[in-house]
Amino acid sequence: MTTITAARQLASRHLVADLQRRFPLLQVAALVVLYLVGVVTVPGWTTHSTLMSMLIMAALLGIAGAGQTIVVLGGGIDFSVGAFITAGGVFITVLTSVDHWPAWAAIVFSLAVAVAGGALNGVTSFRFRIEPLVVTLGVGALLDGVLTGWVGGAVNGTPPAWTNSAVSVTTSTFGIPLPPIVSIWIVLAVIAGIVLARTRAGRSLYLNGTNPVAARRALVRTGWTWTAGFIVSAVLATFAGILLAGEGGGNLGAGDPYLFQALTAVIVGGTMFGGRGDYWRTVLGALILTVVTYLLEAHNYSTGVQEMVYGLLIMIVVALYGRERKIRDRV
Amino acid sequence: MTRFLRTRPYAFALVLAVILLIANIVAQPAFGNPSNWPETLAIFAPFAIAAIASTPAIMSGGGGIDISIGPLMTVIDMVIVADLLPHGLGSPWIVVPFCLVAGAAVGAINGTLVTVLRFQPVVATLCMNFILTGLATQIEGSVTPQGSTWWTNDLSSSFGAIPGGLISIAAVLLIWFGLSRTAYLRNLYATGGDDAAAFSAGVDVTRVRILAYTIGGLFAGIGGLALMAVLKEGEASDATMYTLVALAAVALGGTAFTGKRGSLIGTLFGAACMYLITNVLSTANVPDTWSDAVYGGLLLIAVIISAGLANATQVRTA
Repeated sequence: MTTITAARQLASRHLVADLQRRFPLLQVAALVVLYLVGVVTVPGWTTHSTLMSMLIMAALLGIAGAGQTIVVLGGGIDFSVGAFITAGGVFITVLTSVDHWPAWAAIVFSLAVAVAGGALNGVTSFRFRIEPLVVTLGVGALLDGVLTGWVGGAVNGTPPAWTNSAVSVTTSTFGIPLPPIVSIWIVLAVIAGIVLARTRAGRSLYLNGTNPVAARRALVRTGWTWTAGFIVSAVLATFAGILLAGEGGGNLGAGDPYLFQALTAVIVGGTMFGGRGDYWRTVLGALILTVVTYLLEAHNYSTGVQEMVYGLLIMIVVALYGRERKIRDRV
Repeated sequence: MTRFLRTRPYAFALVLAVILLIANIVAQPAFGNPSNWPETLAIFAPFAIAAIASTPAIMSGGGGIDISIGPLMTVIDMVIVADLLPHGLGSPWIVVPFCLVAGAAVGAINGTLVTVLRFQPVVATLCMNFILTGLATQIEGSVTPQGSTWWTNDLSSSFGAIPGGLISIAAVLLIWFGLSRTAYLRNLYATGGDDAAAFSAGVDVTRVRILAYTIGGLFAGIGGLALMAVLKEGEASDATMYTLVALAAVALGGTAFTGKRGSLIGTLFGAACMYLITNVLSTANVPDTWSDAVYGGLLLIAVIISAGLANATQVRTA
């Protein structure tokens, strides 16, 4: 009798685990619960402007975390995200206001730098078989240094006006009552979702992340896949940086806090190193992180406490759904 | 020459450090003057120890890494300056044990998260990074706490004829040397090389890994004390910088991030290279605003050469 009960319990536990693997059940539940806590405890939580400013913060985090998601799925990690976010903000600010470039030229130039930097990350780590963490750390330091030298120590100039309206709570996109950055994020999420799940490139990425040797045997062009991941990461980070310029970015070091925050969004969402997860989870991760931040701010907790809560949050979340296999199962 | 460089993972960093040392002395003859050594070593010590403290976790393999070393040193610095000294608890008999115990405890928690709870090392120590940075910010408050006492001032200059910075670095190296007399270091290399094989051969992989993180934390405790001695204040925002620079020093010192090879002494040379690069850039005629770029470029090239040399001797598996 007891064995049957135990077996049933085991089976039901596996059922939840199976569901969790296919669908980010716990993440959705956590988001709903946290949001409801806000509704109950914070006055003015459901107003349009609060909602929109939450979405804007989540969108910045989500766009910055999109590239990291792709790199992490492919089995790497990108520590140069912060530098590329800074680069996007600094280029759009300085090129348009000091050098009087048209906006499109400044954007094209920033993204070209991102492609070059991302390719440097990917090619160097792949060709010389160096840990991507180390390479991206070096490329990030180089980029930060070049930016500092180029602007001469401090940024003079103001970001173009349209970057402010892109992240303003009162704007709308072509009549849809959403700030442009949120609309961009939705489009990005749909594209990333489709590319990762339905295209050859996406499947190659997962395969490469799960087992690079098997991927090569299956005729995946591992070098291309790996490098493309880093290029996409750099481009999206730079893009987030351009949008961030209107939100107090556009300064040296403006992107630095986003390195660990975007990585947190990826991990809280449930994407793990080497082929487990997808971009929708990062979207949820960015939303959860945003709601938590707003909750803590509304209850007047200091930044110190906020960071400690971030740490504990990741710990709880990973304990629930992101653990590794036991060593005796891998022998 | 190439063979020498390839068979010893630390050799590249050693050669580079010697070249940079000569460059420093040529650019600034006062650098070679022994009366300046205590100050130089005091500034170098927290930086070198941060790098050394990051090494055991990486050597334990399985993607092992500890990105909470910088914040841990900052918290220890902060607690000494803001809590211990103002309450008259500045005696070395209280402060030193506190640093060692607090550092080792945080390291042990990291190790337990990684092994017993099976967290990915980057994730586990990222959590710890957030918690410790938050703690440091919380203790710091709105006014940067400041303070020092007679023996920490000596630690940032010298005890009699012995530079204080040398003492803290030597303490760390002596602990490691002591461990090298036991089976622990061999077990650590075995675990880092292939954890499943080490497990099958009877190595207690869990214990070896927890100890690796604990030792890293213990070293960070000493590093926090060295940091406090030289800064004489608590600054929460420096934490991340120390973490990233330390990892670069580890890579430069020829330690593979896969855990298959590496050494503490290599990390020490790697940290020396990075310190000497910064120093030579500030004395040579590089414009201030461009020194970061030159630093970043040199760092990238050095890391690529070092890791490339280390990889060249590895058997290609795929």
